[in-house]
Amino acid sequence: MSRDTTRTTESSTDSRTNATGASTDTVDPSTDTDQLVDTDPGGGGLSERDTRTAESAEPVVTARDLSVYYGDTRALDDVSIQIPANRVTAMIGPSGCGKSTFLRSINRMNDLVDIARVDGELYFQDTDIYADSVDPVALRRRIGMVFQHPNPFPKSIYDNVAYGLRIQGRTDDLDAAVEESLRKAALWDEVNDRLDETATGLSGGQQQRLCIARAIAVDPEVILMDEPASALDPVATSKIEDLIDELAESYTVVIVTHNMQQAARISDRTAVFLTGGELVEYDRTEKIFENPESQRVEDYITGKFG
Amino acid sequence: MATDTDRANPGGESGFGRVSRIRGRLFESLTLGASVFGIAALGVLLAYVFWDAFGLDAAEPVWYAVFAGLTVLPAVGFVWYARRAPAVGETSLELVSTLLAGVLGGFGAVAVLEVIAGDEVWFAYCCTVVAPLVGLYVYGRLDQTATWVGLGYLTTLVAGPVVGTLLLGPLRTVAALLGAPLVYLVTLVVPTAVAVRYVVGDRLALGNGNYAAAGLLAVAVLGVPVVDRVGVSRSVWLLFLVALAPTGVVVWKNAADGRWAGLLGPVGVVGGLAATVAVTDLVGIAGPEPWFDWQYVTTAPSQTAAEAGLYPAIIGSVFVIVLVAIITLVVAIGAAVYLEEYAPTGGVAGGFARLIRINISNLAGVPSVVYGLLGLGVFANLANLGVGTVITAAFTLSLLILPIVIISAREAIQSVPDSLRQASYGMGATRWQTVRRVVLPQALPGTLTGTILALGRAIGETAPLIMIGVATTAFSPPSGLFSRTSAMPMQVFVWSSYPSEAFQHGVVAAGVVTLLIVLLTMNSIAILVRNKFERETH
Repeated sequence: MSRDTTRTTESSTDSRTNATGASTDTVDPSTDTDQLVDTDPGGGGLSERDTRTAESAEPVVTARDLSVYYGDTRALDDVSIQIPANRVTAMIGPSGCGKSTFLRSINRMNDLVDIARVDGELYFQDTDIYADSVDPVALRRRIGMVFQHPNPFPKSIYDNVAYGLRIQGRTDDLDAAVEESLRKAALWDEVNDRLDETATGLSGGQQQRLCIARAIAVDPEVILMDEPASALDPVATSKIEDLIDELAESYTVVIVTHNMQQAARISDRTAVFLTGGELVEYDRTEKIFENPESQRVEDYITGKFG
Repeated sequence: MATDTDRANPGGESGFGRVSRIRGRLFESLTLGASVFGIAALGVLLAYVFWDAFGLDAAEPVWYAVFAGLTVLPAVGFVWYARRAPAVGETSLELVSTLLAGVLGGFGAVAVLEVIAGDEVWFAYCCTVVAPLVGLYVYGRLDQTATWVGLGYLTTLVAGPVVGTLLLGPLRTVAALLGAPLVYLVTLVVPTAVAVRYVVGDRLALGNGNYAAAGLLAVAVLGVPVVDRVGVSRSVWLLFLVALAPTGVVVWKNAADGRWAGLLGPVGVVGGLAATVAVTDLVGIAGPEPWFDWQYVTTAPSQTAAEAGLYPAIIGSVFVIVLVAIITLVVAIGAAVYLEEYAPTGGVAGGFARLIRINISNLAGVPSVVYGLLGLGVFANLANLGVGTVITAAFTLSLLILPIVIISAREAIQSVPDSLRQASYGMGATRWQTVRRVVLPQALPGTLTGTILALGRAIGETAPLIMIGVATTAFSPPSGLFSRTSAMPMQVFVWSSYPSEAFQHGVVAAGVVTLLIVLLTMNSIAILVRNKFERETH
């Protein structure tokens, strides 16, 4: 639990986390006061999620002038962004705008593409992600990922969730860890009597929640989601969205989505990428959707293009 | 709109006239004709060979009537019934495949353990290699945290044979004290009983595993007086019992599922044959005089056709093919995994990997006689493994089928969805963990199927064996890796040049039938493996 403690300290203004008692830490009032100024004034009257929309949470992922190239093609163009802890940050934009590329550069999945090349700086907490001393395998154990299409292994439900723990050799009390992850992913009640059955027999929505359970089983700090609901029907999508909302209590969630309403519903902050891998605007979600600064972003959001 | 319709159907007045399908129909009938021609040609060849091998011309017409009534009719009826109930057909296919696999496995075990290596040598290596490996596997399953188990496998595989060779003397003495049947009882029957207990009791949950295991041991012991009377050696009995244990489990499983009907097919055919023989014997109708009989597969070649047998060549072929299977699987999976998962795709190294890939595909088309020349030069002469020895033949045939097996293994690995690799890497798995836990389990069925089909090709190869100097006729089976051997196709080839009618039309045909039976058995095992894994992964 020691990492949970640090995480809460980093986001000490998160009144809800503290109020629910999920943390063992108490808020330091002196730092809290001036940070509260930044909090959305209307927060008290809004839903629980909106109170989380504080500006001040410590950045977990920081990019400075990050560019990614595939061969000669520039997929990401000088992106600078700070992603806060224990928040849901959405990346929206038209196809091919580089949002997935940015997501994949955070856990170095782009390393698997031979022609990919990265320029600029990208920090996870205080560590340079692309430093020679960082092993991408170790990095991915702290930054989990959920993909667009549900991709459970053709193994049993239990083995799927236990996969990450087994490859890390963390096999003490595997049963409890599997149960806890499935409960967190809101899947336990549906599958607890058939953990030995193959995961490919689940419905699409269940498979995606299983993939989320698999990702959180190893207790990562950040969860990257690459359009996690785009292949699902509306009911399953709504379940995934509720789940993302709950996950933000204990994890930093970065989600790429095609669906602007989805970004508006679930995210605290939204980054808009437009063609050419350019990050055009990044702000609180309400600000982006109600009063964006850039005309291009407004055009995109109101559906004039994209 | 109107112009569009006109263009699509220039002759039609309303736009809904008939569209020409002549070319399609023509193509359909051509493909049908091609497949009918292929099957018919093969059918004529097989009928000819079987006619000779089983001496069918000696049988009276009445015998055929009895045969049709007692064997063919029930079999046709069963096939017709199985077509309407797919579960029944599936059950009988599973039963026949396991039975054939069991019989072939039994012959393989007898050939390798009893005839070639001998029980004492088997006991020595079983103690130093097999037993530790099994122990490690069981321990690894029970205690998932024991990460040293993998290293233990490697150590055992490297050090086990060395220790076994060093301790060969004392261990052979122990084995001699135990005696061959007791050695097999301890090293094979008892572990099989444990496996049966697990499969019956836990895996398939058919019933009490303890009773199943005890039943197997009881059959093993109680069968001894019976086989003694029949004249089969006790060791052979135990080896076949072990090889046929899976068939028993399959029968039990299907019976427990209430799928009795599926068991009727295979039982009916065997029973029908027995009934035909019994009835015609009683009434005194002259039946066929088969060249392919028990005497043929158990005796050595002879100058007289009636006494000629294929036994040494069968043992030699089986021994070679077992070695080929081991060598090919290890090398082919290694090469395929490297080329698909590890090899770089860019730069000089990537170009080199691409060159290897292309050349493996090219090698698959190189004539087998060229591989024979290579085997003679490299293995027989350069490596000094000996001309016409088992090991030279095994290496040469392995080289011959390696390209095919590597290609099928690569295809199997390519067919593993990339999303699964991504998922594994995204979880923080290393490349080795991804290969070991995600890619290989998915690619194994395809690889195994490809390997078994390629082994079928290897067992029938003659040209490379001629090149490396494998004996055309051997009067005793090979006694070890470095002993000279013969092989089934070689023996058949040399018999075909004998002038006597009996050899030309009897002994040769029987040899071909033997080869075909071994081949078909291997292919049906391949089908079984594929079906089984496909059901598990989907």
